[in-house]
Amino acid sequence: MNQFVLQQGMSKELRLFPHILELGIRKNISIQLGSFPISSAGGIRIYYVIEGKFEWCINHQPCVLFPGDAALILPDQSFGSENGVLEIGSFSWMHLNIQKLESGEIITGKWSSLSESESLAIGKILQLNTSPVLLKFNEAGRIFKSLQTELFNHEIGYHACVNHLLDELFIQITRHLTRQSNPGRDFPKTFMNLEQALRQNLSHQWTVEEMAALVGLGTTLFNEKVKNYSGFSPINYLINIRISEATKMLKRPEISLTDIALDTGFYSSQHFSTTFKKLTGYTPSEFRKNHLNEK
Amino acid sequence: MAKKRTKNIQMKCIITIELGTNAVRVFAFDLEGNVIGSLKGYCPTFHTEPDHSEQDPEQIFITMLYVLKNLLNEKIHPKKYKVASICFSSSMHSVLAVDKNSNPLGNAITWADNRAIKEARELKNSALGKSIYTATGTPLHPMSPLTKIAWFKNSDKDRFRQAAKFLSIKSYIIQQLTGECLIDYSIASATGLLNIHTIKWEADALKFAGITSAMLPELIPVFSSAGKLKKAYQVSLGLSADTKIIVGSSDGCMAILGDGVNGEGRATITIEDSGAVRVMGGKTLQDERRRFFNYLLTEDCYVSGGPTNNGGVIFDWFARQFGDFKNPFDIEQSMQELITEASKVSVGSDGLLFLPYLLGERAPIWNANARGSYFGLNIKHEKKHFVRATIEGILYEIYSIGKTLEEHRNIKSLSINGSFGTIPFCTQMIADMFNKPVKLRPNFHSVSFGAFLLAATEMGIYKSLDEAVQKVELTEEYKPQKQNHDVYAGYFDVFKNLTAGLSDQFEAIAELQHKQAVSQQNDNVKKKGK
Repeated sequence: MNQFVLQQGMSKELRLFPHILELGIRKNISIQLGSFPISSAGGIRIYYVIEGKFEWCINHQPCVLFPGDAALILPDQSFGSENGVLEIGSFSWMHLNIQKLESGEIITGKWSSLSESESLAIGKILQLNTSPVLLKFNEAGRIFKSLQTELFNHEIGYHACVNHLLDELFIQITRHLTRQSNPGRDFPKTFMNLEQALRQNLSHQWTVEEMAALVGLGTTLFNEKVKNYSGFSPINYLINIRISEATKMLKRPEISLTDIALDTGFYSSQHFSTTFKKLTGYTPSEFRKNHLNEK
Repeated sequence: MAKKRTKNIQMKCIITIELGTNAVRVFAFDLEGNVIGSLKGYCPTFHTEPDHSEQDPEQIFITMLYVLKNLLNEKIHPKKYKVASICFSSSMHSVLAVDKNSNPLGNAITWADNRAIKEARELKNSALGKSIYTATGTPLHPMSPLTKIAWFKNSDKDRFRQAAKFLSIKSYIIQQLTGECLIDYSIASATGLLNIHTIKWEADALKFAGITSAMLPELIPVFSSAGKLKKAYQVSLGLSADTKIIVGSSDGCMAILGDGVNGEGRATITIEDSGAVRVMGGKTLQDERRRFFNYLLTEDCYVSGGPTNNGGVIFDWFARQFGDFKNPFDIEQSMQELITEASKVSVGSDGLLFLPYLLGERAPIWNANARGSYFGLNIKHEKKHFVRATIEGILYEIYSIGKTLEEHRNIKSLSINGSFGTIPFCTQMIADMFNKPVKLRPNFHSVSFGAFLLAATEMGIYKSLDEAVQKVELTEEYKPQKQNHDVYAGYFDVFKNLTAGLSDQFEAIAELQHKQAVSQQNDNVKKKGK
């Protein structure tokens, strides 16, 4: 496999693909000082190790990568070698532009044929991920190789094919990440991780697809497992956490009802009030009055 | 006459609510004790720090409302049952600090929380500790609310200063429903603060905790009414104002009641994630080495015994590490296969022994630093031996609690409940180890049935709890096999001696593990700091 680099604006191969900023393979036959400094970039970067052992620093975490491993660097995260040294070995990489919404969420972009909710779910999972190394992620190597072939050969349908490969890359990364953190053995622990993610992003409008993808299950099996384990459907469990957290906030006089509603993920204070009253029998303001003036 | 009565009371029902450390369980019974329906709702335990184990009281309350409301709407209201009473049970040893408006100051601390290890040790090694244990019946252990409140006093001074009262989870939940601040004798007797002989708060214990009796809920018997449901809950739940709210007891006391254990010669074994062996009677167990708890069910009825940390949770651990998972998260199937594998190994696992102390241990050794171990390995042992040895090890520990109880009580027969203990393979093993018959009712929830019996007795359906327990029929019996018992008995001696002999090494390895964990934690903090 030979070295190459394609760069947006320079390489004609990328003209139809403005979202691909860079794609390449590098073979490094001697140690290079000062050639791989830490840097940040706007898009998403994926590095796949073919040969050798690399000590890189991703988002301030030192990581060691072996052949078959891939590094995932999200927008604005720092990446490089701590002392700038590039070790012997070879790797392929891609730098991809990704769309950032006003809310801070990331989605794949117009080129993608993923549905909007799936795209949001994938973005959420990438953002919640804390281990940037995908261990034994050979799919990345395979997809990079196919991308190279398609981009260079221009066989019929290559335009669609390249974008499909990119979608597949995102899908495989997401599945790999969730399997890596949830090996499918410990449901109590996996559910705890999910519950923690829900709590930390309570104002987010979670969908069942997102929750299921985070756990690494299809939605049907996910619904069944959650119902069996917790007695709640996933959405009802989420509402349960929302009301519990709201209850706590109602007991602190300094937070407004509207803020409580939005912080805990309700569309509006009206929506909050209806849901709260249905379960507890009190409107939020009645509840607050009772608990601030007792005794 | 009897028939007429049945007709009259047919449409009434009793609801039981169990507040556990991982779920709220609500059952509805008709007055004959048949289950009309049941639902559960998960409620997480949080481990924000290694020794901490907490639950959110608001989430428990909301979960309880949700589950109760659904059960009422699905099974009770459509069939026009009238709810006569709602009876509570909960896990023991929880502590929740609340401010002067009865609002929680942070989360509740559960029995499994070990933060008060220093306070417990200080007390255990003192003469004061000995007299407090004799008076209160609660082992001097970080699980005890006595040591937890002392921990607040020493290590969380802000919260301690702001705290107007210290409640149990159940007290808090009932207060939300009715406005009354109460604690029943059973739960109170597990706080380490109640004198179980006089049924008054124990002055020395209060002093050690740094509180007065005014900072605790009002003490009432388990049958007592806990006040009326607040109007808003009557409306939202569709319950009438005369629905009786019964304060109830603890899960441990309810489990033994629900198994119908009373009088001489009987003990009951519960094995869920953790486990316990319990007896019930008119007298406490006076153990020189303070290995047992003595809790109150009623004024003249004590539930005594020993708890273990290492029940079914250890087999879960084993299955997750070494079981096959054909489908994601399908631990039931994985366990089923392991048990089949274990059943192919001869009794005693051909001499492979397992000490199950992965979570440290309570009764009978009371050593938080105890650790697990496989012993006796030889070249012929295969994976299947490990499977069987693991199950045997968990049950030897139950047997070892039973043996210490037998130093005080004559036990002729056993009953068993809990998801792990009622696996037929395990039940037979227990019968063989103890060399005693073991009775049970499959698919039966002893804690909830105990709560039903209590509520039914309060209603006058039974004259007394003694009469109520006659109602319990344990339909299945496992008979001991003497030749198996003899094999187990031989290995059990080694199990016991091994546990005793390793006590120094438990300390050594626990200290090294602790040191390494701390240094790894520091490394992580440093890395994140960068």
